[in-house]
Amino acid sequence: MSKELVLENLTKKFGELIAVNKVNLEVKEGEFVCFLGPSGCGKTTILRMITGFEIPTDGKIWYDGKVINDLIPQKRNFGIVFQSYALFPNMTVGENIAFGLKMRKFPKNIIESRVEEMLNLVGLTKWKDYYPAQLSGGQQQRVALVRALAPNPNVLLLDEPLSALDAKIRIRLRAEIKRLQNELGKTMIYVTHDQEEALSIADKVVVMEAGVFEQVGTPLEIYQNPKTSFVADFVGTSNFFKGVKEGSMVRVGDLLLKVASANGVNEDRLILAIRPEKIEVGKRGTLKKKYKENIFSGRLDVATFMGVVVRLMIELNGNEVITDVLYTDYEELGIKHGESLDIYLPPNGFMVFPDK
Amino acid sequence: MANKSESFAVSTTPPTGIISDRQIVILVSLLIGFILFFFMLFPLYSILKMSFLKNGHFSLASYYKYFRTPRIARSLHHSFYVAIISMIVTTILAFFFAYALTRTTIKGKNIFYTIIMMPLISPPIIQALALILLFGRNGLITAHLLKTDWSIYGAWGIIISEIFYCLPHALVILYTTLSAVDTRIDEAAESLGANAFQVFWKVTVPSAKYGLVSAAALVFNLTITDFGNPIVIGGNYNVLATEIYSQVIGLQKFDMGATISVILLIPSVAAFLVNYYISKKSFSLISGQARPFLRPSRMWKKIGFTGYCILISACIILIYVTVVFGSFVKVWPYDWRLSFTHYNFPSIGGYASLWTSFWIAIVVGIIGASLTLVSGYIVEKAKPKGSQLLYLLSVMPAAIPGTVMGLGYILAFNRPYYIFYGTPWIIIINVVICNYTLGMLSSITNLKQIDKSMEEAATSLGASIITTFTRVVFPLSKVAFMQTFIYYFMRSMVTISAVIFLVSATVHLAAIEIIYLDMDGRMGSANAMATVIMVIVLSFLGVVRFIGKKKFSSPQMQQSSV
Repeated sequence: MSKELVLENLTKKFGELIAVNKVNLEVKEGEFVCFLGPSGCGKTTILRMITGFEIPTDGKIWYDGKVINDLIPQKRNFGIVFQSYALFPNMTVGENIAFGLKMRKFPKNIIESRVEEMLNLVGLTKWKDYYPAQLSGGQQQRVALVRALAPNPNVLLLDEPLSALDAKIRIRLRAEIKRLQNELGKTMIYVTHDQEEALSIADKVVVMEAGVFEQVGTPLEIYQNPKTSFVADFVGTSNFFKGVKEGSMVRVGDLLLKVASANGVNEDRLILAIRPEKIEVGKRGTLKKKYKENIFSGRLDVATFMGVVVRLMIELNGNEVITDVLYTDYEELGIKHGESLDIYLPPNGFMVFPDK
Repeated sequence: MANKSESFAVSTTPPTGIISDRQIVILVSLLIGFILFFFMLFPLYSILKMSFLKNGHFSLASYYKYFRTPRIARSLHHSFYVAIISMIVTTILAFFFAYALTRTTIKGKNIFYTIIMMPLISPPIIQALALILLFGRNGLITAHLLKTDWSIYGAWGIIISEIFYCLPHALVILYTTLSAVDTRIDEAAESLGANAFQVFWKVTVPSAKYGLVSAAALVFNLTITDFGNPIVIGGNYNVLATEIYSQVIGLQKFDMGATISVILLIPSVAAFLVNYYISKKSFSLISGQARPFLRPSRMWKKIGFTGYCILISACIILIYVTVVFGSFVKVWPYDWRLSFTHYNFPSIGGYASLWTSFWIAIVVGIIGASLTLVSGYIVEKAKPKGSQLLYLLSVMPAAIPGTVMGLGYILAFNRPYYIFYGTPWIIIINVVICNYTLGMLSSITNLKQIDKSMEEAATSLGASIITTFTRVVFPLSKVAFMQTFIYYFMRSMVTISAVIFLVSATVHLAAIEIIYLDMDGRMGSANAMATVIMVIVLSFLGVVRFIGKKKFSSPQMQQSSV
């Protein structure tokens, strides 16, 4: 029987402030769920309620068919990985990993073999007798990871585990966490404010804002079909326009746009969003031959080199539009700052939201 | 791939104790609360009761009597006079000393700092002893060299003693303040065209205003509550603290002693509150970003400040040299032959008192450091309901003058059923309580540096609060624990004011013996006793530091800024 973690109308108030507002979620056994949102959105508060460090104001937390609201953290058997690693500096790496096993009174030989096994898992076998301060940040977080895994927790909770690390180590460790999750099949709940991290690592992403869930879905769903303009803005990059329906078209300032999914929204006032990679640019007059509608003339404001791609900021009738083009295409385009170019906004590239 | 070892096929949770973490926290909080209540508030209450109750009825008769007896009433005026002058002079002297150490590039800063801190390790009456040897009725300078009848006994004797007694305390505050203020604002002022004096008066001094007020309040509090120096050098010049002692021990007038205690409590508590709130304010101003970079000071500035530091340091060294030398001289200032005769302590306590003082100080150190660490943990980390009250009780002792606390202990506990009364244990409890504030505050400061998630990690791995405390929090607090232990040890070795009421026919303390020897007119032996105490404290510090170096230089201690 699979053990599910369920949040039911979970609410947390700090005085007047509602940090978490009636959220509902089901986490299946072995699932990798990621809470994503800006700081202060309540994602860490949810994690702390699951761990037992915060008591919910209202609602229930279920695990394996039982309400665990009042269970002390020690009895939940959930492992936690902290942003600050929180390794015990007075104990060696080996002693740190053994700590949870000692608390459970495992016999010595089993503890020893388990510690070896854990060190093996993250390739730190020879660091066993060193103190945490002698390890690099990435190594310390690996130790913290297996320290939490050693007592075989039911669920592993990770609170921004990579935020204190350098960009490169962050990406490598991200892959390692994903690999461990695949290998061990452990339920993991991961909190981050880094959307790229969330999309690349999780089976299921929960986007949060101001204490509520904006959207729950697979990374692909979240990216391609954002349910709200907040999600479209927070996950990935989007260009936003405010528009009003005008017949079958949408008016944005002086521009009249054809928008494929405009009828999906009942309101007349709309927010349109389009990802930079959906937009096409070309030399003046070239795109007219390819497409029938939504071709406009813009002016190149700034081009910033970003490696493989160049990010263009284009002034389009008082709106700023961001688009990314391959560096080679940019060379071919041969356009300088202040010059005009053609810009194509494909009708089916728009995401449409009501303007409240 | 599943878990390799079979033991981990099923999840386990750790066994739990009979009582929960929450219950443990509440129990410990109640215990500490009870200790502070019973050994601090109850004695205070006893004093209030004694001063306001006559035959079971509320009465102001004692206060009326106090103000109608000119000889006693003078003590209030005397106390304020001495405290205010000492406060002003000490704050100014300490400020310039701190300025020299933090804002100039003079040489020998470490030496100057060490010298000015010396009074902290010696009995707080050493200043008075030295002044009497130099300027007393048989003083080397007054009677011997100048052949004058004038002597230092009285207000000025007290004031000069207090200045040197309080200098290190004021310096610590001002040193911290001046180190914390960003020197770049001085440079900004200069670049805007201000000259050196304008920068000093318009930028440097105002930026240290909280430190100045805080230091002044602390000096006022220390001076008005000091007992040792006034009793030794005051002569007929009575202050509140000594008057309590005279009334109680000399005349057995407990009600008058209690009344004067209440009168002394008012300015003392007021000064404590000022110091407390201001220092809280000023420490919030300290940013980690202030990275003072000192440009080389101009020649005249260096010469001036070096001269100033040498002068102050010389005075302090003179105090110590005088007392130590005075303990070896046969008959000061007539027979300069050196001898050990003064070290054959004639009083009842003698060398036994040194041993008593030593072991009491060790016990005080252990109990004090443990108790303040646990209280700090409760207030800073565990935070049960009502922990703010515990915090309030813990910082109160610094506001209560030692003599008041001493008298309070007599009034509260001099009953046959308090079996600890008259034993060393009442002294141990008293010293622990009287010095609780600083121990508690330093323990909180230390605990603040321990990452909260460290404890949460332990908890989530299955550790109970007791395991978390013993295996994680305590090991990380070892250094702070040792510091508090040393602080308590030193305080216990040299303290006078409260315990002078608590020593008995069977329990003698070395620091108190100095006063008794001095009262007996045995100056040489008083000097000798003071010297031995300082030697013990210094050697103990040396031993602890030696052990500490060996023990705390392991790699784990490389962590500091997690």
